[in-house]
Amino acid sequence: MKKKNSVFLTIAIPALLLFFIFHTYPTLQGIFYSFTDWKGYGNWDFVGLKNYLNVFKDDRALDAYGFTFKFAIISTILVNIFSLLVAMGLNSKIKFQKTLRAIYFLPYILSILIVGFIFSFIFTHFLPGIGESLGIEALSKNILGDPKLAWIGIVVVAVWQSVAFNTILYLAGLVTISEDLYEAASIDGAGIWTKFWKITFPLIAPFFTINMVLAMKGFLMVFDQIVALTGGGPGKSTESISLLIYRGGFEGGEFAYQSANAVIYFVVIVIISVVQLKFLEKREAEN
Amino acid sequence: MFKKVTKGMAVFALGATILAGCSSGGEDADGKVTLELFSNKAESIDTYKGLITEFEKQNPDIKIKLDAPPEAETVLKTRLTKNDMPDIMSIAGNATYGELGRAGVLHDFTDSKILKTVQPSYVDMVGRLVGTEEEGVFGLPYATNANTVIYNKQKFEELGLEVPKTWDEFIAVLDKAKAAGEIPIYFTLKDAWTGMIAWNSLGANIAGEDFAEKKNAGKTTFVESYDEVADKMQTLIQYGHKDNLGVAYGDGNNAFASGKGVMYIQGNWAIPEILKANPDMELGVFPMPVNNDPAQNKLVSGVDVLLTMSEDTEHEEEAMKFIEFMMSKDTAKRYIDEQKAFSAIQDVFQEDLVFEGIKTNFETGAITSFPDHYYPAGMGAENLVQEFFIEQKKDAFLKKLDKEWEKVQNR
Repeated sequence: MKKKNSVFLTIAIPALLLFFIFHTYPTLQGIFYSFTDWKGYGNWDFVGLKNYLNVFKDDRALDAYGFTFKFAIISTILVNIFSLLVAMGLNSKIKFQKTLRAIYFLPYILSILIVGFIFSFIFTHFLPGIGESLGIEALSKNILGDPKLAWIGIVVVAVWQSVAFNTILYLAGLVTISEDLYEAASIDGAGIWTKFWKITFPLIAPFFTINMVLAMKGFLMVFDQIVALTGGGPGKSTESISLLIYRGGFEGGEFAYQSANAVIYFVVIVIISVVQLKFLEKREAEN
Repeated sequence: MFKKVTKGMAVFALGATILAGCSSGGEDADGKVTLELFSNKAESIDTYKGLITEFEKQNPDIKIKLDAPPEAETVLKTRLTKNDMPDIMSIAGNATYGELGRAGVLHDFTDSKILKTVQPSYVDMVGRLVGTEEEGVFGLPYATNANTVIYNKQKFEELGLEVPKTWDEFIAVLDKAKAAGEIPIYFTLKDAWTGMIAWNSLGANIAGEDFAEKKNAGKTTFVESYDEVADKMQTLIQYGHKDNLGVAYGDGNNAFASGKGVMYIQGNWAIPEILKANPDMELGVFPMPVNNDPAQNKLVSGVDVLLTMSEDTEHEEEAMKFIEFMMSKDTAKRYIDEQKAFSAIQDVFQEDLVFEGIKTNFETGAITSFPDHYYPAGMGAENLVQEFFIEQKKDAFLKKLDKEWEKVQNR
């Protein structure tokens, strides 16, 4: 036992130290500076809760919250619908099943930034080109240049990319369901729809929970896609909170103020995740 | 047990030294001094490489390491936080320079004799960025730019147009181009910053160069001073194409090079890019006419590159040698020729024929600076202007600018 302990310690202590130095310590620093007026350099003073109060009065930050939540909720729902569909397709007895799995996973491996630039090209040149040659007025403009439509472009890219990862999780869930259940249900005369709602969905409930929470958390922190596609524009219509924090904090010299924003946002994400988990786990138990 | 833990610690310490090793510089084993040159311009990398080779040939004891990362200003501010400033910096004369100057990390060139070779108006310009809090000259203006209207000479000839000198003439030219079925101005507003070029020409000539100082002193507001600017912005946007907000800068350069649009509101920095796409194109430039009195239309020109060094560099003498090399007339001339820029060094002129239309401005000094360089960086003016192009609600927009400015100042 004693030997086991020392092995454990030699592995765990450096890891813990590294985690603390590169993760926990900067977080604590960020929280500390959110109570000051530090610009990222130079002298600073304590300002108490001023930064926090200012965030609540800042309509730019509130707009960013509005956009981020709208985007995250819609994308989370879409990702879960699509990835469940893809996973069920890949789990059925089809040819080239393994190759297809690899292909469907490909988007996740590519860098988000590069995917974003490729889609930006598609939205700017490819789609308007098609729209123009077919004479469809709605398609012949770059949707990323329209403040009412630009968010759709970002949803498309974000969903396209993250479906891959959630599909893998759903697949892992689907293989745990025994074939016997479906056979028994068939004998009782259950149709596809009944089988899905009465067998598949309840049995992958834990996977549904984790997918919802992970997707929501990921989309709330949306950043790369926006940098590559719109840069927060047109106007401020696609400015997410992470982008606002980055821009204001590092480029705008508002390090302390945006730190306060980040702390608030961190709390919001934690609350949302906890509530989601509680709610969905309760649903799991009921089934 | 104890031994194992020490081993773990040793591994960790090793890791830390490797990380720390990243930021070391200074003297090499062979006695050569290595200096880091930090540049914020991706466009000038090749020019710098050529100049460095020449410098190293003249000074075999000094090695220059060029570092031009993307998002350079953010990188520089992050390094400032870590107290790890590069030896020599080649950065733009904008709000970031002002912050660095106020932070007291740059060398003070006030007593340097090399300062006398720089045109005084540009020294004043960068001085205003730092403000009065900190005394001194913390950067040497090197290359400058011009905020212009670029035009397609061939189309001007075909349509029988003349370079406008007043706002009314400018509108007449735009109307004529529109009537001929051309796109009068090719806008690239998907990139928000491109909207600031028209904004700066209008703002500098109508609201005045000292708007930011007055605004901070509470003597004026956007609502009072920028009303006409906003009106004229709204007029200009009507002469664009049907997808003004859907085209980005890079695509716009190619489109303009392929003959779309008669005029292109862009600075001199776009010219090499356009010519890259179409080397045979004949281009001309003129300062945007803003008022109806030609004497009041100044060209907006800023310090595109200024040279400075870190206050606590270990190799001040060597760094100064490089700066002196850069600021010699021959090197300065070579730089502006390759970069199609203008020089802040006295008696070094850009002679490229493309710039015929703004030559007199540089000779007579009819020049003013970029107003947005003096706005608080946190307000993100370019996205607000982009939003104005979409919503076109003048009063709400001007009030918002005032509000954002004050909000950022309060933080």
